[in-house]
Amino acid sequence: MSPTTPTLVPAELVELLDDAALTLHELAQGCSVTPEWVHVHVEAGVLIPARGSQAAEWRFAIATLTRARRIAELEYTYDADPQLAALATDLMEEVAQLRRQLVLLGG
Amino acid sequence: MEFKDYYQILGVDKSATADGIKKAYRKLARQYHPDISKEADAAQRMAEINEANAVLSDAEKRAAYDTVGAQAWARGARSGDDVRPPPGWNAGYEFSDSGPENFRANFSDGNGGHFSEFFEQMFGRAQAGEGTRARARRAYSDQGDAQPRMRGEDQHARIELELIDACRGAERQISLRGAKLDANGHVVPEERTLQVKIPPGVKEGQLIRLAGQGGPGYNGGPAGDLLLEVQIRPDPRWRVDGRDVIQRLRVAPWEAALGASVEIATPDGKAVEVTVPSGSGAGRKLRLKGRGIPSSNTPGDLYLELEIAVPGAVTPEQNTAWEALSGAYPGFDPRRV
Repeated sequence: MSPTTPTLVPAELVELLDDAALTLHELAQGCSVTPEWVHVHVEAGVLIPARGSQAAEWRFAIATLTRARRIAELEYTYDADPQLAALATDLMEEVAQLRRQLVLLGG
Repeated sequence: MEFKDYYQILGVDKSATADGIKKAYRKLARQYHPDISKEADAAQRMAEINEANAVLSDAEKRAAYDTVGAQAWARGARSGDDVRPPPGWNAGYEFSDSGPENFRANFSDGNGGHFSEFFEQMFGRAQAGEGTRARARRAYSDQGDAQPRMRGEDQHARIELELIDACRGAERQISLRGAKLDANGHVVPEERTLQVKIPPGVKEGQLIRLAGQGGPGYNGGPAGDLLLEVQIRPDPRWRVDGRDVIQRLRVAPWEAALGASVEIATPDGKAVEVTVPSGSGAGRKLRLKGRGIPSSNTPGDLYLELEIAVPGAVTPEQNTAWEALSGAYPGFDPRRV
């Protein structure tokens, strides 16, 4: 394909997403899953809302979007049980955190 | 258009069973998972592997792919450039999403959820159908109802910024491979370049939503959004922890002992004078409140970690100076705890 002329994205369409910003439907949309999938995984304790006691009130941190995508991917790729997918995700997140700490220590 | 040899990508024979393809895919997915793999091209390889699996794990897509490949070879095609899907090649095929009921595979593919031009030409999304959206559209169609307007899907991409750009904001051009609907409602590949003004004060892992820049909507529905995940390029001069920045500050021994006023550059490129207190030792941290990555809520801090730079004793005068310094501290033993 030939190079295209850049399309300017107007500033009003650019939004920095802060923590605890996503509703259940926004999280589902961002992960290409159904709202029911999100609901089931919250009930199972695999995904945790940053606030809200009922589904309509749930608000999820941005980091949860990355976590949910990772879990959904593992479930799909390996036919994994949600808890197993969550365990693998927990381990991957811990490795990432340890690597960040290593960098901070000058390693 | 480059022909994609999906069998070679998955490392399986053309006669591989469905189970064999699944096993090969899972093994490669583990090897090239971008969050774990140390391979330099892991993201690109993962994209290829996902695409190959999307075709070969779907019985109908695989049959169509095998047909195109076999016909092209019979016509004398010996390279990717010789392969073209013939007109009406997909007559009789109705593709459906090969994934489970409630989600679709578009993860870890390094391409923001899109496949190659070859895949789009062969299996084009609006005709192929995509999971819950396709089933919804067919359900409406079967009932004789008008197909619903449906929002396009969100897409994901990563953007790497220098620390100074994360602090001050920056204009960036982002090239994306995606899809659009042509005049006949068919999905065709599209390469887009977006000019985006990144807002100031973005931290590692933060998401920037570009409204309406995601996948096209269906039947007149709005487009999805593009979600950019920010990564800050590693730099040996500083380390980033959330919005805090840790920076090394090299000082001369006499500056550390006697105190000094030194000029430094903050992460957002400003020059500031910093007072090094007298009697400072190596590793001491000086905190500059609010001078880290900015934020409308709580900006991060800048921590200056002192490092004592010891000049060598080269000339006779320098040797004399160091011996005099040693003589001025007769009881000093740095190895004594």
